[in-house]
Amino acid sequence: MKTMDAAITADSAQIGRNTDSQTLPAQHHVPGGWPIWVGIFSEMTEFAMMFIIYFIAKSHYPELFNEGPTKLNTLAGVLNTLVLLTSSYCVAKSMQAIRRDDTTACVRWLWLAIIAGGTYLLIKTWEYHWNETMGISKDTNTFFTVYYYTTFNHMLHVGWGSAAVLWAIFGVKRGSFTAQSHGGLEAVAVYWHMIDLAWIVIFPLLYVLR
Amino acid sequence: MFTNKSIDFVWIQLMLLTLLSAFIAETADTGLAVIIIVAVTIGYKGRMIVDHFMELIHANRYIRASMRLYFYVIPLMIVLAYLFPETIVRMTTLR
Repeated sequence: MKTMDAAITADSAQIGRNTDSQTLPAQHHVPGGWPIWVGIFSEMTEFAMMFIIYFIAKSHYPELFNEGPTKLNTLAGVLNTLVLLTSSYCVAKSMQAIRRDDTTACVRWLWLAIIAGGTYLLIKTWEYHWNETMGISKDTNTFFTVYYYTTFNHMLHVGWGSAAVLWAIFGVKRGSFTAQSHGGLEAVAVYWHMIDLAWIVIFPLLYVLR
Repeated sequence: MFTNKSIDFVWIQLMLLTLLSAFIAETADTGLAVIIIVAVTIGYKGRMIVDHFMELIHANRYIRASMRLYFYVIPLMIVLAYLFPETIVRMTTLR
C-alpha cells in the first residue's frame, strides 16, 4: 500500500512538469491516480460482461439480432455517438487548458462537455419514447432486453459522469485545480473518456451490426 | 501512425468514422467484409481515444497496455462471434 501511495505521490508530482510543447503530462504517470483506474477497470469489466452477453444472445437468436437494429432509430444512435465523442474532445481540451493554467478556458470546455452530456441524455430519453410509440419495450424480445439493459446502464454512467464534470467545474472555479496540481480533474477526465469508450462499442453492436 | 496527434484532428477522424458506421448501418447487408470494417473501426476509434484523449500514449505502460488490449479483444470477439456462432451456442447451452 505504501508503494502505491508513493507511486501516486510521485505521479501527482510529475503532473504539469511538462517538457512537451503540446502540454502533455509527464511520461509514465498514472492519469488521475491509481484509485480511479480501479474504478475504470471495474466498469470496463462490467461493460465487457454485457458485450459477452450480447454475443451469446446473438448466437442463440440470430434472427432477432439481425432484425432488431433495423427497428431502432439509427439517427438517435449516430447523434449520440457524435455528441459523446465531442464531449470527450471538450474534456481533453479542458485538460490542455488547465496545464496552461488557463482556468477560464478550462471551465468553458468543461461546460461544453456537460452540455454534450445533457444532449446525450435528452436524445436517449427521446429515443426511448420513440421506441415506445413504435411498440418496442424491454419485453419485446431478447434483442431489446439486451438493448435496454446495456443502453440504460450506459445512460446512468453518462448521468453521474456529468455530475462529476460539474463537480470539477466548481473545483476549478474554487482554485482547487491548477497547472501544477490537477489530479482530481484528471481523474474525472479519464472516467468520462471511459464512458465514451463503452459507447464506441455499444453503438455498432446494437445499431450497425445485423 | 499512433504518435502525437493534435486532438482536433483526432476528433475530426472520430466523427468521420462514426458517419461511416452510420452509412454502413443504413446501406450495407452484414457480411464478413462489413463485420471486419466495423471491428477495425471500433479498434481504431478506441485506440485514438485511449492514446490521445485519455493521453495514455504518455502514461503508465501497464494501464496503456490494458486499455489498448481491450480494443484488440472486443473487435476480435465481434469477428469470432460472426464466424463461429454454433460454437458459442454449443458452449453456452445447458444439457
